Amino acid sequence: MELQELVRAAQRGDPLAMAALLRALAPYVGRICGAIALADGDDAMQETMVQVLRHLRSLREPAALQGWVRRIAVREALKLARARTRQVPVEQVAEQAADDQPGLRLELVDTLRQLSPDQRAVLVLRDLEGFTEAETAGLLSIEVGTVKSRLHRARRAFRDRWQP
Amino acid sequence: MTDWPTAQLDPIRQLRVLAGVLPGVGLVERVLDSPYERVWSFLADLERSVPAFDPMVRSLRVLARDGEQLTVATQMPHLPFPLRFQVELRDGWCLMRSRPYLVGMAAVPLPGDRTHYAHLEGLPVRGLPVLRPLRPLFRRVVTGDINGISRALGPRPPGQ
Repeated sequence: MELQELVRAAQRGDPLAMAALLRALAPYVGRICGAIALADGDDAMQETMVQVLRHLRSLREPAALQGWVRRIAVREALKLARARTRQVPVEQVAEQAADDQPGLRLELVDTLRQLSPDQRAVLVLRDLEGFTEAETAGLLSIEVGTVKSRLHRARRAFRDRWQP
Repeated sequence: MTDWPTAQLDPIRQLRVLAGVLPGVGLVERVLDSPYERVWSFLADLERSVPAFDPMVRSLRVLARDGEQLTVATQMPHLPFPLRFQVELRDGWCLMRSRPYLVGMAAVPLPGDRTHYAHLEGLPVRGLPVLRPLRPLFRRVVTGDINGISRALGPRPPGQ
């Protein structure tokens, strides 16, 4: 079934179409939630999907699905990541053992952990999703200047980690 | 940069999402003391498993199968006609939908040869909060079904 047809069927409330839509969106939502919410990525993804299906009928144009889902995923991932940052002191975040993934991925996760959730969101939208600074500012409802400063700090953290 | 951390939505979480948007369903999760392969090979054989664990189903017959898509007919003791379900069946995931009823089963392996199992049943209707009071009723139905699954699986064979 084509994606737009799937959206229409899920909007009508067909549980089989809802399940198929979850699987179709999973790679994209997983990338955003994983990179922003890190250890809470799976929970952020689950909550994103609940919000997507709960409000799907408000999406008038199925072609706008990806942009609409992106906004929800960024919002839910930021919400959980900020909550964790409030619960865990910064020095503990830096000391936490990374996932059970080896090598470069472990270093990447470790570096991402040392950024604030808002810095990670900017980094994901600019460097992973390829949005312009203006588009990123619009998606996060912040000024372009704020995007630039957060991006600068995030990229510097990566340079400090990997460049001699 | 490559290899960014990626979040996952495993079958259990997919079922939780459906339970989160369908007010008239009940979802119950349990850890089964049986290896995943044993649990899922039992459940995936719908003609054998469903009548064995669900007292509301006298028999289930597969009418058509096209890859992961099945059409099945269930015979209930109190219904004079069989109820048809459209079924999506894959490893660790089964969703059965008829017009008046929805059944979902999901499983993922756990360490120590155990299985995280989730089961959902209820009305496949979205956006009617008035159905929410039915959830405890369906959770009781689902709990009975999971008890039936545990009984059907029996004790863990020696050496497993």
